[in-house]
Amino acid sequence: MSSNDIEMISVTKAYGSHRAVNEVNLAIPAGEFVSILGPSGCGKTTTLNMIAGFAHPSSGDIRIRGKSQNGVPPEKRGIGMVFQNYALFPHMTVEENVAFGLKMKKRPIGEIRDAVKHALRRVHLDGYGERYPKELSGGQQQRAALARAIAPEPSLLLLDEPLSNLDLKLREAMRVELKDIQEQLAMTFVYVTHDQDEAMAMSDRIVVMQNGVVAQCGRPADIYDHPRSSFVADFIGKSNLLPIQEVQRSGKDWVVSVATGLSLRAKTPDDTLADPPQYCCIRPEAVRLTMVESDASTSANRLAGTLTRMVNLGAYFDCFVTLQDGTVLKSLVRSTRLPGLTSNQTVFLSIEREAVQLLPR
Amino acid sequence: MDRLLSFAFQLSLFLILAFIALPILVVLAASVSPTTTITFNPSEWTFQWFTALTASRWLDPFLLSIKLAAIVTALSGLLGFLAAYAVAYQKCPGHETIMAFLVSPLAVPQIVKGVAIVLFLSSSGFYSLLGTPGLVMAHIILTLPFVLRMIAGAMYNFDKRLDQAGRILGATAAQRIRFILLPIIKPGLFSGMTFAFILSFNNIPLSVFLVRPGETTLPITVINHMEYSLDPVLAAVNVASLAFILTAILVFEKIGGFSTQIHGGSK
Ligand SMILES: Nc1ncnc2c1ncn2[C@@H]1O[C@H](COP(=O)(O)OP(=O)(O)OP(=O)(O)O)[C@@H](O)[C@H]1O
Ligand SMILES: [Mg+2]
Repeated sequence: MSSNDIEMISVTKAYGSHRAVNEVNLAIPAGEFVSILGPSGCGKTTTLNMIAGFAHPSSGDIRIRGKSQNGVPPEKRGIGMVFQNYALFPHMTVEENVAFGLKMKKRPIGEIRDAVKHALRRVHLDGYGERYPKELSGGQQQRAALARAIAPEPSLLLLDEPLSNLDLKLREAMRVELKDIQEQLAMTFVYVTHDQDEAMAMSDRIVVMQNGVVAQCGRPADIYDHPRSSFVADFIGKSNLLPIQEVQRSGKDWVVSVATGLSLRAKTPDDTLADPPQYCCIRPEAVRLTMVESDASTSANRLAGTLTRMVNLGAYFDCFVTLQDGTVLKSLVRSTRLPGLTSNQTVFLSIEREAVQLLPR
Repeated sequence: MDRLLSFAFQLSLFLILAFIALPILVVLAASVSPTTTITFNPSEWTFQWFTALTASRWLDPFLLSIKLAAIVTALSGLLGFLAAYAVAYQKCPGHETIMAFLVSPLAVPQIVKGVAIVLFLSSSGFYSLLGTPGLVMAHIILTLPFVLRMIAGAMYNFDKRLDQAGRILGATAAQRIRFILLPIIKPGLFSGMTFAFILSFNNIPLSVFLVRPGETTLPITVINHMEYSLDPVLAAVNVASLAFILTAILVFEKIGGFSTQIHGGSK
């Protein structure tokens, strides 16, 4: 008895000599919202299509609710899917679209009617049932596609970049709605996206993919705070990534020399280094920028430089500080904190030792 | 400048329509003229020739042609759909070659096809198939490539993701054909079947080899009659069959909604 809704066991999908998905191992627990995140072409859709049954693994096994899906066609897998382009049936009204899954299962008319009404209300489309898909806006079509997928109440729903065609406002509103639906219906969501904000905002767990392999899998905060590679650090959130030349021990700290000559003190949680670190990663919000030199008694790294560029993000400024050795560090500064901050002035940075993360790749 | 251009377009459209319609108007006038001399004077017009059409020498061939066209349309629609499904939709192995083979009869002139079919029937001892069965088969050979091309075109344009959406919602292959594929390719299917209907109903070059006494299609009856006389009853036959075909096209269009496919209208 397994509580995992989906298990992928060293699944590989090869197109010719190219491996779109390479030895992927994944366990998705029932009831979780899992995002598959990665750049274009990294194998997200291929992974989803294999779970749905539209593509077949070249090797490895996919289990759904504990059962191997080898040879089980999509129509027998009992899962729902929201397609990237919605794929609404153009010749059916919204109502007929939403009713389709239940109609195929030959449910009683009354039950279908109730389920359709319920699903449409859930995605805030009541009153639109009589319309044809082309009479809906992009956002409404997206919600209709969602209603169609949830009406048969599958325990497992696959979503392939369902919000990618929406404007920012609608996208943010839909994130909240999706999360609500997932929690209320206690469904397992596998959500494909290349938008890291979206993944961070909604997921219980994020799977970061890179060139067909899983680069890292974990809770959003864990991945953000402890990326396991420079790729993940770069892809999830913003970061200052500096290639490391040398690492030395100094008391309880590590002293990291960066290619440009800068050296930083770092502290790892367990005081060990598993692999020789290649990069160090510092999140911009961990780089504290001040206009006067900070207290010399702190154990933090203290640096000075010139503020070369400020990008206004509304509530925050993205500040680019060029250090004496030429290294450029990004710092995130709340707009209200330092009134009078201007470009080309000398600024001081302090970075806690714990914020300097050492990455093996 | 724009107005001049648009005027030129409208003028040329009018000329084209006139070019197509005028001969028909002449036939129309002939069908109501009392003698072989065509008159355009309404006071002399008569419907006697149309009354003559109710005689069995005209009515029987007319009914045979309708029956034939209906059977040919239904069968070539069915066969065309099945072939297109395997070739254009499922893309069975060698689908391009099979498609080329299936539409190859288009390259053979009808008269050659007619001779070939008669030779085949007589040399293989199926001479008894002359008449309706032979006509049905010959007409299907003629119409199938048209129907197949139309349906295949619609299927090539069909968005396969709709089929995937149907699958993941639990629809079996048969349910997906019935509820998703067929409704979406319906315009293609019906425009193909309309072609089949017209081709069969009007056909002379194939039918001429396959009719037999008592089982003669309308166009062949017209040809036979023309050998003896050119009286206005022929014009009346033509007007009647023109009206019939127009009605048939309208009915097909009503069911199939294929004008959307031809002129890209929205529906
Ligand atoms: N049918 C196919 N034949 C050959 N190669 C394919 C096929 N489908 C996908 N690929 C390749 O596999 C890789 C992964 O494709 P996939 O569609 O899974 O990417 P993705 O992560 O979904 O990207 P995107 O974010 O752009 O949608 C790509 O390099 C792609 O070119
Ligand atoms: Mg994709």
